[in-house]
Amino acid sequence: MVRSILMLGLLVALVPGPEARAQTPPASPTKPAANAVDPASIQALKDMGAYLRTLKRFRVSTEHSGERVLADGQKLQHTARAELDVQRPDKIRVAMKSARSERELIYNGKTVTLYTPAQKYYSTVEFTGALHQLVDRLEERYGVQLPLQDLFLFGTPSAPLDKIESAMNAGQDIVGGDVCDHYAFRQGSIDWQIWIRTGDKPLPRKLVIVNRGDEARPQSVSLITWKLNPEINAAAFTFTPPKGAKKIEMVAAKSGK
Amino acid sequence: MTNSAGRIAAGSAVVTVLMVFALSTLAEAAAHRGGGGRGGGGREGGGREGGGGHASARGGGGQARQVNNSRADVRSNNVRNTSVNNVNVNRNVNVNVEGGGCHNCRGWDNDYHPVATAAAVTATVAVTSAIVGSMVRTVPAGCVPVNYGGMVYQQCGTTWYQPQAGQYIVVNPPY
Repeated sequence: MVRSILMLGLLVALVPGPEARAQTPPASPTKPAANAVDPASIQALKDMGAYLRTLKRFRVSTEHSGERVLADGQKLQHTARAELDVQRPDKIRVAMKSARSERELIYNGKTVTLYTPAQKYYSTVEFTGALHQLVDRLEERYGVQLPLQDLFLFGTPSAPLDKIESAMNAGQDIVGGDVCDHYAFRQGSIDWQIWIRTGDKPLPRKLVIVNRGDEARPQSVSLITWKLNPEINAAAFTFTPPKGAKKIEMVAAKSGK
Repeated sequence: MTNSAGRIAAGSAVVTVLMVFALSTLAEAAAHRGGGGRGGGGREGGGREGGGGHASARGGGGQARQVNNSRADVRSNNVRNTSVNNVNVNRNVNVNVEGGGCHNCRGWDNDYHPVATAAAVTATVAVTSAIVGSMVRTVPAGCVPVNYGGMVYQQCGTTWYQPQAGQYIVVNPPY
């Protein structure tokens, strides 16, 4: 009994009260460092964007896991895969797969088609433009996001870097066998990290995004694998309806423009 | 025998799931290996304990692997509004800030339609027989397929269905 009272006394003595904390010297208050936005980290994004814009033909695939937050704050994780065949300036074929659904998007510079192989439904709309314009249009009008669509936006006005509030170099890491430079950014309620391959081919190999707008902080992780200049059959970019396929309407998003 | 059957029936669902999984794997393996002639072999061989029925309900061998979400708790689809799915950096940090885009903040990967806020569940139960969040194998005749937000739905009057791994889940109208 005496002993436990003694212990309690010791604990009380050890835990500094609020006054004690207030007295700690405010010599170096924790205000943001002068260079909260590390210029070299921003430059790394610019270099990556510029390099991505030079790639004429590539195949890129992603293994992705995301989180959705339920009503009570519990999180569930889901996974999906996607593979993109790309030929700049205006051709792309995307396959999106999860255990629950499978979808394809095919664009040949003239028409863009969304196809669901399981039901053999397809929707086609006319569009001309570069891939970053396609990305913007799909999002604005139809509420459709492409996997890894950032790849087409970095290095364009759709990916401004001047609003980033915090940028830092987080050192190096190894992703899929590649030594990468690891950067972390903050903007609004989004924290994001990117792993960019070190050297003269600065390809993004991993992307992590955290949404601080929800207190459960859902996170998504995309691992990215590259094949530059693969053989791609030109016909792959034009959708030919398989036998029995049925055309259905694609409805513009409610608040779409 | 009666005893052990009883135990199996009362036993954990895990065992059943494992059994079904093993059987369908067998059936698949048989289909891959033997071609047409041996297609039924896997099912027969694994047909003890009535499991063969399960395997054939799942299409037997040959078909692509398919998940079954009919036992998923309805809560697993009750995604809250703040759960914005962040998959693409530029979309979230830039377009959102400018107050424009992100109509469909579910990203490309999230093929779960958020079906059930608590209120919606109650309302729907009261109004129609198709309970939001419930799974069905087929949709009624006369439904119209619609592509919205990159996902295909079946609109059947006021009831909407989303295909999910070979079945359909009743969802709130997407628009």
